[in-house]
Amino acid sequence: MTLSAVGELWTWTVQRFEPKSPPYVPPPGGFAPSAVGYVELPEGVRVAAVLDTDDLASIRIGMPVRIEAGVGVPRARSADD
Amino acid sequence: MTEVLIAGAGITRFGRTEDVSGRQHAVRAVTAALADAGIEWSRVGAAFGGSDAAGNADTLVAELGLTGVPFVNVKNGCATGGSALVSAANAIRSGMADVVVAVGFDKHPRGAFDPRPADWGLDEAYGRDGLMVTTQFFGMKIQRYMHDHGISARTLGLVAEKAYRNGALNPNAWRRKAISADEVLASGMVNDPLTRFMFCSPGEGAAALVLCAPHEGVPVTLRAAEVRTRTFGTFEVFSPWVPGGELTSVSRAAATAVFERAGLGPGDVDVVQVQDTESGAEVMHLAECGFCADGEQEKLIAEGATEISGTLPVNTDGGCIANGEPIGASGLRQVYEVVLQLRGRAGVRQVPGGPRVGFTHVYGAPGVSACTVLSG
Repeated sequence: MTLSAVGELWTWTVQRFEPKSPPYVPPPGGFAPSAVGYVELPEGVRVAAVLDTDDLASIRIGMPVRIEAGVGVPRARSADD
Repeated sequence: MTEVLIAGAGITRFGRTEDVSGRQHAVRAVTAALADAGIEWSRVGAAFGGSDAAGNADTLVAELGLTGVPFVNVKNGCATGGSALVSAANAIRSGMADVVVAVGFDKHPRGAFDPRPADWGLDEAYGRDGLMVTTQFFGMKIQRYMHDHGISARTLGLVAEKAYRNGALNPNAWRRKAISADEVLASGMVNDPLTRFMFCSPGEGAAALVLCAPHEGVPVTLRAAEVRTRTFGTFEVFSPWVPGGELTSVSRAAATAVFERAGLGPGDVDVVQVQDTESGAEVMHLAECGFCADGEQEKLIAEGATEISGTLPVNTDGGCIANGEPIGASGLRQVYEVVLQLRGRAGVRQVPGGPRVGFTHVYGAPGVSACTVLSG
């Protein structure tokens, strides 16, 4: 089945502390608080993803998000970006 | 079916020490439980126990005595204590032995747990990209629950306030200082909407029980103990995806099974211990275990129903929030507390009115729950 690329944010949180390494590998610029969540797709599945945003305060349940598979875990960002 | 009685219960102080190993805690807890029961180790016909990170329970025979007793190691995450108890109860029921010990203990390093993706059947990317963090799951589960069922951040603050208040009444608790809901809410966000003081910390401690076949003068009966793993449609720690639609719950499944086996229901329970890894877990587990409807917690908690003096006393020993989380020990800590309450020996934190029925519940990754029902 091919899943849609756009869905709604089902839930989210912000990772405010640096996870232990290993297994965590911080990005080149070092750890910064970042969002994670589950994206609900129309096909009836909620997919865990890192949520890329410049504004952690703007995250809301139900907001439209676009999700992409790639290297690593799926990544999502606001569909309005 | 043969009844199973709790002849003795023992516990150590929970918290963090420099010089006491997890095994040493376990020896102290078993010794205390045997003394409480008035039974010598040489009378024990079978033993079950374990830890998540502090060693093998069967090595305790070096300190307890080389009696040749069959001692089975149990390693089942947060359900380690509960699984040991189920096995111990079955050993009595099957006639394998008439005196059986169950023990749970642990000792964890400071800070959040750091599980390895491969141990959980996950791609390394989940660890590398920062998704192997248990506290994230708890934040995301309560975030959605608050949205769906009208639970406020204030309620999360009140749950932790109660935990510290009860912990202050418990000489074995780690956190014994009262902290107000306002302080809890202002303690700094860890994983939104959960703040630092809403979480338990990995710690250390041990609890042990001596079970026996029907015997005069033993007042507490283990009515039922059940363990369940997840079924399709639950939302669990470390899930790369979750099916759509209404969620099911492994805690709901374990609680339903234990009440059915006990021939009792949530309405019969006078004292409740549920897994409170953080404030949100206590809120959600009360509904999942059948003690209230989704959303009803907002009113119940504000009214004080879950206080020791309330209509539904919850986590009377301070729960994980005040005792910390030694994974292997928490389930039997809860049973120890219920045994004290049913005997009427919980001192300053005694639930008034002579509680007759108690309930315990643990939950953990990757979707496992263990519940017990006990009666006095």
